[in-house]
Amino acid sequence: MDQLPNLGREQEMLSVMGLNSIEQLFSNIPEDVRRKTPLPLPEPQSEEEIWRDAQHLLGSNIHLDSRPSFLSAGLSRNFVPTMVGMLATRGEFLTSYTPYQAEVSQGMLQAMWEFQTMISELVNLPITNVSMYDASTSAAEAITCAVRVHNKKATQKDTIYLSELVPPHRMSVIRNYIQGSGIDIKILNHDKNGHLNIDAASIAKGSCAVYVEQPNCFGILDEGLLQLKEQIGENTALIVGVDAVSLGLVSPPGNWGADIVVGEGQPFGIGPTFGGPIYGIFACTEKYIRQMPGRIVGLTHDTNENKAFTLTLSTREQHIRRHRATSNICSNETLIALMGAMHMALLGPEGITVLAKRVAASTEAAKKALSSVKGVELVYPESSVFRDFVIRIPGDSEKAISFIDSKGVIGGLPLSLWWESHSSCILVGCDERTSESDISLLVSAIKEWVKEVEN
Amino acid sequence: MSDIFSFNGSPNAGWSQPKPILSDSEVMATIPSSMLRDSPPAWPRASEPELVRHYTWLSKRNFGIDTGFYPLGSCTMKHNPRVNERIVNLPGIDRMHPLQPEHQIQGILSIFYEMQEMLAICSGMDQVTLQPVAGAQGEFTAMRCIQEYHRERGEGHRNKVIVPDSAHGTNPASASMCGYDIIEIPSGVDGRIDLDALQSVLGNDTAAMMITNPSTLGVFEPDIAKASEMVHSAGGQMYYDGANFNAIIGKTDPGLMGFDAVHYNLHKTFSQPHGGGGPGSGPIGVKEHLSRYLPSPLASRRERTKDDPIGVGDGYWYSWITPEMTIGKVQQWHGNAGAVIRCWAFYRRYGRELERMSEHAVLNANYLRFKIMNPDDEILEKIHAMPSDGAPTDFVMHEFTLSMIDMKDKVGVTGKDIAKRLLDYGVMAPTLYFPMIVPECLMIEPTETESKEVLDKFAKDFLNVLTEDPEIIKGAPYTTDVSRVDEVWAARNLIVRHPGHGIEEN
Repeated sequence: MDQLPNLGREQEMLSVMGLNSIEQLFSNIPEDVRRKTPLPLPEPQSEEEIWRDAQHLLGSNIHLDSRPSFLSAGLSRNFVPTMVGMLATRGEFLTSYTPYQAEVSQGMLQAMWEFQTMISELVNLPITNVSMYDASTSAAEAITCAVRVHNKKATQKDTIYLSELVPPHRMSVIRNYIQGSGIDIKILNHDKNGHLNIDAASIAKGSCAVYVEQPNCFGILDEGLLQLKEQIGENTALIVGVDAVSLGLVSPPGNWGADIVVGEGQPFGIGPTFGGPIYGIFACTEKYIRQMPGRIVGLTHDTNENKAFTLTLSTREQHIRRHRATSNICSNETLIALMGAMHMALLGPEGITVLAKRVAASTEAAKKALSSVKGVELVYPESSVFRDFVIRIPGDSEKAISFIDSKGVIGGLPLSLWWESHSSCILVGCDERTSESDISLLVSAIKEWVKEVEN
Repeated sequence: MSDIFSFNGSPNAGWSQPKPILSDSEVMATIPSSMLRDSPPAWPRASEPELVRHYTWLSKRNFGIDTGFYPLGSCTMKHNPRVNERIVNLPGIDRMHPLQPEHQIQGILSIFYEMQEMLAICSGMDQVTLQPVAGAQGEFTAMRCIQEYHRERGEGHRNKVIVPDSAHGTNPASASMCGYDIIEIPSGVDGRIDLDALQSVLGNDTAAMMITNPSTLGVFEPDIAKASEMVHSAGGQMYYDGANFNAIIGKTDPGLMGFDAVHYNLHKTFSQPHGGGGPGSGPIGVKEHLSRYLPSPLASRRERTKDDPIGVGDGYWYSWITPEMTIGKVQQWHGNAGAVIRCWAFYRRYGRELERMSEHAVLNANYLRFKIMNPDDEILEKIHAMPSDGAPTDFVMHEFTLSMIDMKDKVGVTGKDIAKRLLDYGVMAPTLYFPMIVPECLMIEPTETESKEVLDKFAKDFLNVLTEDPEIIKGAPYTTDVSRVDEVWAARNLIVRHPGHGIEEN
């Protein structure tokens, strides 16, 4: 209740208007839709009480930094530079709205234009928007965007091809987003190494789009994807979902024919934060710019010929084009993208390379250590991996994860949560902060589990 | 100006981090050489001191609620309590993964459950999901649930969604993304629903009507119950756009008005900071018959048994549940949890007194409208042309619209010119040219967190603008970081990334 500057001054303000009761202002609400009883909610609290309750409730959670953790599955247990939170939450940034009035919003506009540039450099594509909600809605809207661009010339009309290793939560988002456009989803299979069957992928030629992930949800880096664009041809969009950090080491999809690149921006800028707010990356070639979703900042000048920035191409958007808009997106994740920009700028070209190497090193070290445990096997031993990899363990993976949990280690994701057929598999996730001691604690816990199952 | 790409210092001057836990050659051997990146991205090479100064400089070129009055209609730009930011830095939210097992996330689940319950109570709905991350995604999610509801009942042929011409653009865009055809109906002359127009488009192809109440004109729709009844009689569902929920909490609710589904803009009503355009949070609430289609999972609870761990100590054990006929996911995790927690902290500040919040939002809007529309004679004489009400009504709710058409006709000054001139007075401009049915529209929403003095000053400044030399107004703004920005040039040239290190200074 301490948020109302005019509390206690109601009569003073009402009398200016010739009124004597606030209720008069609500007289246009008919009796039959009036609420008759007070809201059955608790007493108002002071800031101090709210802080106490927040500390108690959130303090009862077990957080990733309190123990060794190998749970990633699309989010990163990153370290965000201290500067990022401090600068991004300056009130001028934090409490601004979409920069409709460019003259008083140059700061955020420029920061987003810089963000666009840094993402474009990272993925090697010329156009980037100022963020989508997350990697999954980015992927979904990339698909509908590609269908709008390619459907006219497509020989397989209203058809797109998805890798079978799109994780189920993302597949679900995609299905929700595209079902209204009558788009038919066809599946591209992977081989026993987890690689896309590249020769069979030419079946997608003439469709509107192909969506694959590099690395895929099992962490596998697939060399064959470098040939995918040749297989599907110019008139089918190649959409690639990326692990943004991997691009510090791995060839950006723009180099191997990707038309649209999407992915999770979260590793740059914000903690895993229980899955949100995070931000989706969306970058594309010029061909898609007029059909792409989301906001975009352009360089221009003011009436005195000073350099200036503004939102541009808004004729694609819902507030202008209404039901013919390219997307319904209005609120996006700009503030989180700002945090991402700050983080990327601090890393710089050398920093992103080191960061990617740290993740690759942790992944390799963990993989090596676990593969030497008797009873544990790598499901894709021949494949290169980044951040995540899959192990098969004796017994049920959910029970194994609970057991490992009881030893004080968050062991990864039991893959039965994604696919029932993978009930003995665990997705082990590493990151730049994974230490050798974390790995040895995981190894000991899994050894104990193996012993437990054998007995 | 400060240009981030002009920083190109020593590779060693950047932010430091620990070394990889394996040697360089071991790391490089993990990736096939054909897949390696040739050269790193051309990001700036900057040190922390340089970047702190760069971003501080940028922040000073940006206007937020903290900077000054922000009467951006429909956006509910209220103060953002700072303890909320402190709370979301706690590791119990910042360092949490959405796939952690339930016993590790009891605190978050309890807050989710409390928020679901609170939002259901305030809106007269039966079940709430917190998953949608923006108002538009909430609309989309609810329309997907309605779509599945019709399909399951064998009425999948219902393919029309009705929206008033005063609706937010997201309404038709969201319904269209679900595959619906949109029927736009004109508002009556007073800005309210034209029931005859509504009746004429209802039929056995009606899937739903989407409407916000109070309307985008800031006017409460007195015929809303009648409209709901008509849509329901035709077999359609009623969808409430909660963009204007700040006006009505505790006074009425969408359930009482006959709605079946509603979205909440937590970033408006419950103060998640907008941060330059997001994040938002757009939970939806539905009546019982739609709850089985909601996205999964939802937070649930049962009484704790003696075998359960202690949990949060309130006697309950919290868990996820999946609605029976769920549409699946709209966001890949559990929505913008950080926003939900900020908004939980905000709501706790009011509790059962949330009604006071709405009262003050409405009080401030009416007060400001009165002050603008009733100038002293001395000022009135000097004003070129008074604004007219976007909708004729005795009282407005939380916002109001003004048409500046007479200024345009009389002295050639547009709504946009006035908006730009207001920037020189140190305030954010109102929402411009929305709703589209009001000519030369300015939409003003002061919110409850502005003092009487701020409102008095804004009314005075606003009226003063209307007395100024039209040429001065048309050339505004003058005191901002840049003068009026050429948007047309930007759209024609589309320079959407830095063309190289150090763009030429003009």
